[in-house]
Amino acid sequence: MTPRARETLVSRRSWLMAGLTVCLSSAFEDQPLQVRYDGDTLRVTAPSLHFLTGKALERLKDGDAVAYMANLELLNDSRTMTLRQQKGRFVVSYALWEERFSVTQLASRPSHVDGLSTQAAESWCFDSLALSTLGLSVDTFYWLRFDIHTANAREIAAEGMPGFSIARMIEWLGKKNSEQTQWGPLERRVRLADLPRLAGRGSRG
Amino acid sequence: MKLAWLACLCLGGLLFAGNQESDLNVNRRYTVDTVTVAGKGWRTNVTDSHSEKLSSGLRKDLAALVGQKLNPGVLDGLADRLKKELSAKEVSHHVLRADTPEHVRVEFEVKQPRANIDATVSKAVYNSRDGWSGAGAVGFTVQHNSFLFGAASDGDTLMERYAGMSARYENKHLGTDRLGLRFQAESYHEQWNQNTIDAAAAHPEETSATYRTRQNFQPTLTVALAKPLTLEFGVGFQRFENQYPESHIEAANAFITSLRFHQVLAEVPFQQDLDADYTLRAATRMLGSDFVYTSHTAGVVYRAKHGKHQLTDAFNVGTISGRAPLVDRFVAGNSYYLRGWNKYDIDPIGGNRLVHNAVEYRYGPFWAFYDAGSVWDGGQPATLRHSLGVGVKESIFTLALAFPVRSGHVDPVVMMGIIY
Repeated sequence: MTPRARETLVSRRSWLMAGLTVCLSSAFEDQPLQVRYDGDTLRVTAPSLHFLTGKALERLKDGDAVAYMANLELLNDSRTMTLRQQKGRFVVSYALWEERFSVTQLASRPSHVDGLSTQAAESWCFDSLALSTLGLSVDTFYWLRFDIHTANAREIAAEGMPGFSIARMIEWLGKKNSEQTQWGPLERRVRLADLPRLAGRGSRG
Repeated sequence: MKLAWLACLCLGGLLFAGNQESDLNVNRRYTVDTVTVAGKGWRTNVTDSHSEKLSSGLRKDLAALVGQKLNPGVLDGLADRLKKELSAKEVSHHVLRADTPEHVRVEFEVKQPRANIDATVSKAVYNSRDGWSGAGAVGFTVQHNSFLFGAASDGDTLMERYAGMSARYENKHLGTDRLGLRFQAESYHEQWNQNTIDAAAAHPEETSATYRTRQNFQPTLTVALAKPLTLEFGVGFQRFENQYPESHIEAANAFITSLRFHQVLAEVPFQQDLDADYTLRAATRMLGSDFVYTSHTAGVVYRAKHGKHQLTDAFNVGTISGRAPLVDRFVAGNSYYLRGWNKYDIDPIGGNRLVHNAVEYRYGPFWAFYDAGSVWDGGQPATLRHSLGVGVKESIFTLALAFPVRSGHVDPVVMMGIIY
């Protein structure tokens, strides 16, 4: 073997590590529901799920505002009991001249962002949903479930948030009882101990 | 100091709430440039006051969007009203970029059903002197083709009580919206008042004898000359089966020409409309007619509306030269002319001259009218008659008490039902 060849040789251990990393990485990316854990909260993303599409997108590009209701749940391993739940109510609109999305999360303290691309608007909605992990066992398996659907003014108003009466919601969203489109549910079995912990506010460990 | 902070917090909250409302749909910041309503083969800009597709009220509400910031919340309500008014299958709205930056145009897209079934009652009226009269039709529309089948029993409109069937085919879009075609066929049996039978027998030089049955076939072509002006021309083939002195058939075949005009004169400060029409009916031997006559009729209707107040003035004139059958002579003392009078008292065979003016005033559902006019025969002196009436009118339903104005005695007539 020439010195030159020796220089470029990769050890068997390196090949093994690289192979394992690729497998784990691709296994993680293949999950329909990707989980981020910062020690305090769980957040999800779903790279294959796009809700700013189809008829909802057509309505947005017609100048309508479209309401979405998202639901993120943590269930026990047998999926018989909901342990944590967060609902998100979002109103999305599309600026016809700027060709950018605007999203408002309806809550007792609403938050708003605009000038977003399709991907950024979807990510903002995902990021707005978080489940607290306080009091959960790190070694127990749980199920995470996520779904999102388009909602009409009545459905949003039925949530009973102060300041979002049905009359106001109809004024903002129109009274059209549009066909509901649903994405999901997407599910994933998780154990907190297995999740890579992101740098952040994590108080555990 | 505490109060000042509290005030600041409240103000901040209000400002936030205000922004929130406008932020839910970012398109609210754009100004509406134009509003159009479009269907298959037609499109109308709502600011065009000549548009006849929409009622003036709805057109006004749609036009009110122009120049304002976009309010997407009201578009669904307007689409619903368009759907109802145009009997559409679906009306959707689209907001598109206009030519000017930060401006948008609103388009309502109307989808008509492939086939549309209609049932209409065109007349259902009770007159305490002439009894019940009614007419209705059932029809369907496929694309631009309408078929209508009707039945009627009417003792009010003409000197005769006619009962029978009618059928109509109409295409309002013969290649273009400006051209339409219509075929109408009617077949009726007649009943006569004895006064009319006697008068017709006594004056055979003026009109036809009383007939037992009447058929009419009338093909016509309609041309929209200019937006408010429509020309209709065609031929009418009428056939009468007479009873006296022996059973025989007579025909009144005529060229028919009508001109119609409709104009919205103003929308502010109050709504004003003008309708005018002229019809020429010329029966000639060239068409194999037994009756030779020329009939001219013209009418002008002016309407003004302001809030609950509504004023209408309708003026009609007509003249016939030659010998026209009873069906084509002018009649007053029915639900349209000199209301409250007995038509058999005025002239049991009608007249060949007509002058009539009707003024109506409505305040909400309350209604009053004053009719003045005359029906007479050329060469005879005309007698001007008047009548007054009061009642209630809600949508097309009417209940009225009509009084012929004459010295001596009061003889009111009750009229109620559906009168257009």
